Amino acid sequence: MPAERSELTIARFINAPPAIVWKAWSTPEHLAKWWIPAPIECKVVKLDLHPGGAFETRMREGDGDFQPHLSACFLEVVLEARLVFTTVLTEGWQPAEPWLALTAIITFEAEGSGTRYAARVLHKNAEDSRKHEDMGFHDGWGTTIDQLAAFVARLP
Amino acid sequence: MENYYAPLDAAFHALADPTRRAVVSRLTKGPAPVKELAEPFAMGLPSFMKHLRVLENDGLIRSKKIGRVRTCWVNAERLNAAEAWLSEQRALWQARTDRLADYVETHLSGSMDDAG
Repeated sequence: MPAERSELTIARFINAPPAIVWKAWSTPEHLAKWWIPAPIECKVVKLDLHPGGAFETRMREGDGDFQPHLSACFLEVVLEARLVFTTVLTEGWQPAEPWLALTAIITFEAEGSGTRYAARVLHKNAEDSRKHEDMGFHDGWGTTIDQLAAFVARLP
Repeated sequence: MENYYAPLDAAFHALADPTRRAVVSRLTKGPAPVKELAEPFAMGLPSFMKHLRVLENDGLIRSKKIGRVRTCWVNAERLNAAEAWLSEQRALWQARTDRLADYVETHLSGSMDDAG
């Protein structure tokens, strides 16, 4: 399975220096404003910016209860330059089985007076999905939900 | 742009609840009447119906009432669309990146002094 079938890269110029873009990412109050699109409300539960640190966000619509959104673990944190986190681990490198396995590599690079911002996101490949399909529903709610979740999942 | 991607968030929200996940899981094995679907859950029918409505509104399931029995089934088109998951993910990250840029440029520009 070629990598281009399972990974994606988004890059764009942001008209503010890396220190400011980093601030929008690393401050819970700021992150909550853009991480999930309105009107869904985002709550940043944990944002422990160090390797092994927790990254957890929750979401809710209207007056409902907050529901799980993302639970991940930071792998690498380089101030104002690079953030790497994965959903296959949680706080303290605890192995996890997320709905959507992914590793995200976020980079902040100075470009003129602004920032070249990039998000490279690695997923498990489609072959893995098919393998899971063959295994069926042994785990209770099963593969189809995994695929559905992968299809609809907001990030995680 | 944002409006276009909102249904993805809604669908994810629909699956974030364990009762709704269990319902979809059951329905992937075949259609079932509401009464049968509700059986495993310790909640009143009105509460259970709310869960079904969330799933149906988000397009994950369909239902039809024949006589006095409402039968539900999973929306196969939505399941088949899972093949498009990578492009959905790309769209989601693109939208997220654009929101970050908008937020930074609108609310944080000129805040260099306290950027620390």
